[in-house]
Amino acid sequence: MPIVEARGLTKVFRRPDKGTGLAGSVKHLLARRYVEKVAVDHVDLSIEAGEAVAYVGPNGAGKSTTVKLLCGILVPTEGEVRIDGLHPQRDRTTVAHRIGVLFGQRTQLWWDLPVAESLGVLRDIYQVDHATYRKRLARFDDVLELGEILPVIGRKLSLGQRMRADLAAALVHGPQVVYLDEPTIGLDLAVKDRVREFFRSLRDEGITVMLTSHDLADIEGFCRRLVIIDEGRIIFDGDLESVKDSFARERILHVETAGPVPLETLRASLPGAEVTEEESPLKYAVRFDRFAMTAGQVVTVLATLTDLVDFRVDEPSIEDVIRRVYSGELVLPR
Amino acid sequence: MKGYRALARATAKAALAYRLSLLLGMGAVLGQLVALLAVWGVILARSPVNGFTWPQMRAYLLVAFAAGTVVSILGDFRMASRILDGDVALDLVKPIDYQKARLAESLGGLWIEILLIAAVIGVVVALTGGVDIPAGPALALFAASMLILVPLKFLIVYVSTLACFWTQNFMGVQWARLAVVNLLSGALIPLVYLPHWLATAAQWSPFAGLTSTPALIFLGRVHGREALVLVAVQLGWVLVLWFGARLVWRAALRRLTVNGG
Repeated sequence: MPIVEARGLTKVFRRPDKGTGLAGSVKHLLARRYVEKVAVDHVDLSIEAGEAVAYVGPNGAGKSTTVKLLCGILVPTEGEVRIDGLHPQRDRTTVAHRIGVLFGQRTQLWWDLPVAESLGVLRDIYQVDHATYRKRLARFDDVLELGEILPVIGRKLSLGQRMRADLAAALVHGPQVVYLDEPTIGLDLAVKDRVREFFRSLRDEGITVMLTSHDLADIEGFCRRLVIIDEGRIIFDGDLESVKDSFARERILHVETAGPVPLETLRASLPGAEVTEEESPLKYAVRFDRFAMTAGQVVTVLATLTDLVDFRVDEPSIEDVIRRVYSGELVLPR
Repeated sequence: MKGYRALARATAKAALAYRLSLLLGMGAVLGQLVALLAVWGVILARSPVNGFTWPQMRAYLLVAFAAGTVVSILGDFRMASRILDGDVALDLVKPIDYQKARLAESLGGLWIEILLIAAVIGVVVALTGGVDIPAGPALALFAASMLILVPLKFLIVYVSTLACFWTQNFMGVQWARLAVVNLLSGALIPLVYLPHWLATAAQWSPFAGLTSTPALIFLGRVHGREALVLVAVQLGWVLVLWFGARLVWRAALRRLTVNGG
């Protein structure tokens, strides 16, 4: 049985339509008009225990709204959600013990209390016994270096410290399902790396993770499954690697040669690849389909023509693929 | 239970983290007390008005001060801002009841408030003379009334703060509540000074229980059956508001739209 299941999940928001200018506002006072916005449109989603799912989409696509529906924060307009077979609104308390939520732009720490106290309150709210709590805290400390921020008052935390503390806060009760909504937003690279390492440790422990992010580096090397949402609808749901295989087959080999080689010679010896000169002399880029030839073959061919000083292969990122999907350039099979 | 206790402790700690702001807030209420004492001292110097003598009015104002200070280190500001900026989303994924959690937070600061009240009353009594303490049964009823005042005040603040789900603004809600409460609870002037129809309406409203009821019992201006009825009204409102608040909360949840992040 899937641990998270949504069927026909729909959320329609009603917003006041005030028109423009003062006249519009006054008119709205007299005759209220509303516009309906379908934020999430008949989403079907089923996540098995232990899966790590990336949930991506452009701004306003309905990612966060879906997450809030899946947590039971928002009441769906239509459709239903089951967490481990439970109804997130009706069984709010039971479900709350099983899920952990991190909204990168929000905090659940007490602004006026040290981090340790905030976590202590959460420990009591979730009724985690002290031994388990200490064990978890020690683990968080290993990866997130929590120790140094425990005595810091909430409002004095830097963004990176705040996020690390909030991650601990979201996981202090050992949830089975974790929703991470923009968990690395605004973090510097060092902290991002640490946080990503922490995600991998969650996955390795068998915790179900649903990750929403604009930073695709968060996803690569962590999620096996990719779900793309656009305008409230799921436009792709499948294996991340296979998306890369089918739509990111292109590789670019950058080479630096010992001496000049005419471009025509290179092109003639590598039919099927596209060879271009790069900005500096003696540097070339070879673009090829990795299913038509391997990087090794390309290097071997080039080595017969000249001495290679250096080379490097660029893999396209999943980001490129998703960018092309957003822009409509690429249509993924459902 | 443990979770609620932890919340109560956290509120008290957070309140103590802002000792200066706590004292300034107390200063404001204290200023009002001193001003009211001065004004009524002049008005009632010669003869009683509406049956209030100066010592009685002094006792009334002290009870009003105590009633006004209890449950004032509220989480209402935090609650409102969490509703307004959507952080309430995180309160909704906690395995505890939202209303009880907010009540726990309000109760957390109670002991600090009681200490402050005791200190202020001690000073005022020392400076302006003692007050008459009512006899046993009336004193017990007064104590009961003060006790019921705690959940009553919490509920009035709680329900009005829930209005933020609709108004998207807290200041207006807070000012409206303060205006209504100050007038209809008898915190500024005893209800008998209001026009008769308004005084009657106020008497039966939930607001009278915030100041008027305990103060009148303390002064002995109501007693016996009449006093019991007033306390029963107070208790009745606590029950009505407790369950009414649940309905408001349910409606608020359906309305909840959390924008962004």
